[in-house]
Amino acid sequence: MAEEYAIQMKGITKVYPNGIAANQNVDFFVKKGEIHALMGENGAGKSTLVKMLFGMEQPTEGEIWVNGKKLNLSSPTVAIANGIGMVHQHFMLVPSLTVAENIVLGMVPKKSGLFIDHKKAVEITKEYSEKYNLPVDPNAKVMDIPVGMKQKVEILKALVRGARILILDEPTAVLTTQETSELFKELMNLKKQGYTIIFISHKLNEIMQITDRMTILRGGRSMGVYNTCDVSPEKISRLMVGRDVVLSVQKDKAQPGEEVLRVRDLEYVNEWGKKMLDKVSFSVRRGEILGIAGVESNGQKELVDMLFNLNTPNAGTATINGENILGLSQRQIREKGVSLVPEDRMLYGIAGKGTIQENLISDRCGEKRLNKGLLFNMKAIREESDRLIDEYTVLCKSQEQRVDNLSGGNIQKVVVAREFSNSPSLIIADQPTRGIDVGAEEFIRKKLVELSRSGVAVLLVSADLNEVMELSDSLIVMYGGKITAYFEDTSELNDEIMGEYMLGLKQQSEEEVRRVCHE
Amino acid sequence: MSKKRKFIFSMVRGLTAILIALLVAALLIFISAEGPGFAEKLSQTGDAMKRLLIGPIIKSNGSFSVKNFTDVLAAMIPIIFTGLATCVMFSANQFNLGAEGGIMLGAFVTAVVAIYVPLPPVALPIVAIIIGAAAVAIVMLIPAALKARLGVSEMVNSLMLNYVIMYFIKYMLSSHLADTSKGAIMTYDFQAHAALPQLINNGSKLSWGFVAAIIFVVIITLFMYRTRWGYAIRMIGVNKDFAMYSGMKVAGVIIMSQVIGGFLAGMGGGIEMLGRYTNFTWTELPGYGWTGITVAILAGNNPAFVPLAAFFMSYLNKGCSLMSTYCGVPAQLIDILQAVIFVFFAAEQFLSGYRQKLVIKSTQEELKLQAEREAQHNAEAEVK
Repeated sequence: MAEEYAIQMKGITKVYPNGIAANQNVDFFVKKGEIHALMGENGAGKSTLVKMLFGMEQPTEGEIWVNGKKLNLSSPTVAIANGIGMVHQHFMLVPSLTVAENIVLGMVPKKSGLFIDHKKAVEITKEYSEKYNLPVDPNAKVMDIPVGMKQKVEILKALVRGARILILDEPTAVLTTQETSELFKELMNLKKQGYTIIFISHKLNEIMQITDRMTILRGGRSMGVYNTCDVSPEKISRLMVGRDVVLSVQKDKAQPGEEVLRVRDLEYVNEWGKKMLDKVSFSVRRGEILGIAGVESNGQKELVDMLFNLNTPNAGTATINGENILGLSQRQIREKGVSLVPEDRMLYGIAGKGTIQENLISDRCGEKRLNKGLLFNMKAIREESDRLIDEYTVLCKSQEQRVDNLSGGNIQKVVVAREFSNSPSLIIADQPTRGIDVGAEEFIRKKLVELSRSGVAVLLVSADLNEVMELSDSLIVMYGGKITAYFEDTSELNDEIMGEYMLGLKQQSEEEVRRVCHE
Repeated sequence: MSKKRKFIFSMVRGLTAILIALLVAALLIFISAEGPGFAEKLSQTGDAMKRLLIGPIIKSNGSFSVKNFTDVLAAMIPIIFTGLATCVMFSANQFNLGAEGGIMLGAFVTAVVAIYVPLPPVALPIVAIIIGAAAVAIVMLIPAALKARLGVSEMVNSLMLNYVIMYFIKYMLSSHLADTSKGAIMTYDFQAHAALPQLINNGSKLSWGFVAAIIFVVIITLFMYRTRWGYAIRMIGVNKDFAMYSGMKVAGVIIMSQVIGGFLAGMGGGIEMLGRYTNFTWTELPGYGWTGITVAILAGNNPAFVPLAAFFMSYLNKGCSLMSTYCGVPAQLIDILQAVIFVFFAAEQFLSGYRQKLVIKSTQEELKLQAEREAQHNAEAEVK
């Protein structure tokens, strides 16, 4: 009976050293040869569960059985030896090595026992690539290949290491619609050859399309196992979030005012000589949300870095209300009214070991109202923090609590509370809702709309196509460091059209794109 | 985890580290004890440990020893200053080890002023100490600015700087500033009115410097936790990128933290000099800076706990010297004790299993409470 299961995780509980109970008494059973979805919102405990399956974390309580054998998966090496392979959400590849070199990494074929046998590496890559119908270019450097191919390389890496059970952690998060359907064909093919696939996602349509069964997690607990054909998307959605999701944020039509941010002909060549920004020009006006859509690493990150002086452009100008901001210190940029919700909130957004209070006042600690002569005015600081915690509904025990003990959504609320409350004239929101729970996501989106309608200019960068289409009043697409499309009105767009522009299959004329400069 | 559990954990952790250190000490004493049999060795070890543990406050006849106790307090003065200096620098994540050279240079400059500059009473010691402190603050600009501007490791620079300072002072002592009428390497005597007044005249040399040290503990605690500059120092220590992105002047604060550190170390040197000595005789690094690092780590970089940590180190020191005087145990044992305590305090994973258990317990309690609250909430909803 047990033989029918590839994976049995029984009564799994995981408590992290910071006290977060990511999994509580979860059962997770996967049959041999099926595609099994692990579903749940961000923070539901999906990643933690599969990390334990791949030996990256150890359960606090519970047992893991693989192919009917109880195992102690103490490290990924043990997991790989037992036929488990994992494709991480953020690829674990060496960018400067070739595809073939990445695939044989750690098990390199040798020539006369000393030299790396490149030919053999390429042969191995080709052999597996053909066998599993996963076309890749063995001799290309990983940094030069598109995201979709990187993912294929990751899958091949796992297969070459003898994996019979594949874990895919949000594989479609970085893919376009077209790349996604290609991936699904490949997965079906693997399934036919007898592989077991665990597919992590929170996208309903994908799950319905490809999986056989699913386990749904919510708040670290299992909400049950279902046959995909037996449940409706509405039911899954309810099980996942415990309420019906309202997908669209209500917003009235934008009334754009005068120009706030003006970027002209911004260019940047990165340290490997790749042109990351190519004559980027656009303007953001008061009272509007301009979205930037695009597959990741097409220049969005570089653009934001330039605007906040985290990097220096090779050419071009950027002004706020007519005044230059390029090359100014972050303090000067902030004084000109620019706020940034950074993409990497753990790196720039917070001081993890600091308290919530300390994290809320970092940009305003020198202000007169928070100081009394040489000393801090602790009463004013406490009031300010309480006000922000209250207004931005940060769930915490007190403002003295360490910020890294909060959940991802609440950490982001702390960042947003600080960045939105210093009366900015421009908010740059870079992936503002990535990896946070639905409640916080909805809250932050509403706030962004609210602020833009009160006259703030908002530049929204998001890899979440739904988000960027829903929130933006108008939208530009970046591909290969260029703005390749401008849509003045987002209401008639759909992901098919967007996918074509994001993949570079389509491109508007320069005149069409130039309209975003509002000249 | 609740505050109470955290406190219990850090207490248990600290006491365990100290206990292990003492056990190691007892073992070493036992091994090195001279005696024909096991019993003699054991009794010798017992005697030595007794001296170490209660010697600094209890006389051999069992009564309270004021002299020993004031010795302990007097020895706290320089390490409170180096401890504070290190706290400030470490809080900014600057591993500047210059408190050692800093206290020596501060002592030296103060001594020179106290010998040669004609100033009236009261003004002389104060001016001398401030000039000594300022000199170290300026010298500390070297590793600080190199770090902030060019990214040179402040640890390497400050460490080397200690020896530059030491050899510079040695050179001055044996040439320009030497009192050639004496048989040893030393300066001329300080002007008589340069000496700091004593709190108690029992030979312990417990001067008003002790009061100054406590005042500076208060000032630095306020500075670190109640001013925007101290806040900037701490935030840069936690996450430099965050501080930069928030608009703080990171390079300036990195320099400031080390200049303040230098100032405090230098002031410690000056006070030590005028409180205890009548001329300058140090030809080697005094070691207070190294102890200051231990003090800062024991205090968890919190200036408020520095006096406690300094008292502990000073007490152990006194105990060890008594032990070596009366029981023939080598005084170097203090270094071993320090090292063992240091290792266990610095080891982040020490007792982490115990900590994890506490965390799990706390989390399970919280979850239970949450479930109860939810149930109650649902019940209320049903009633409605």
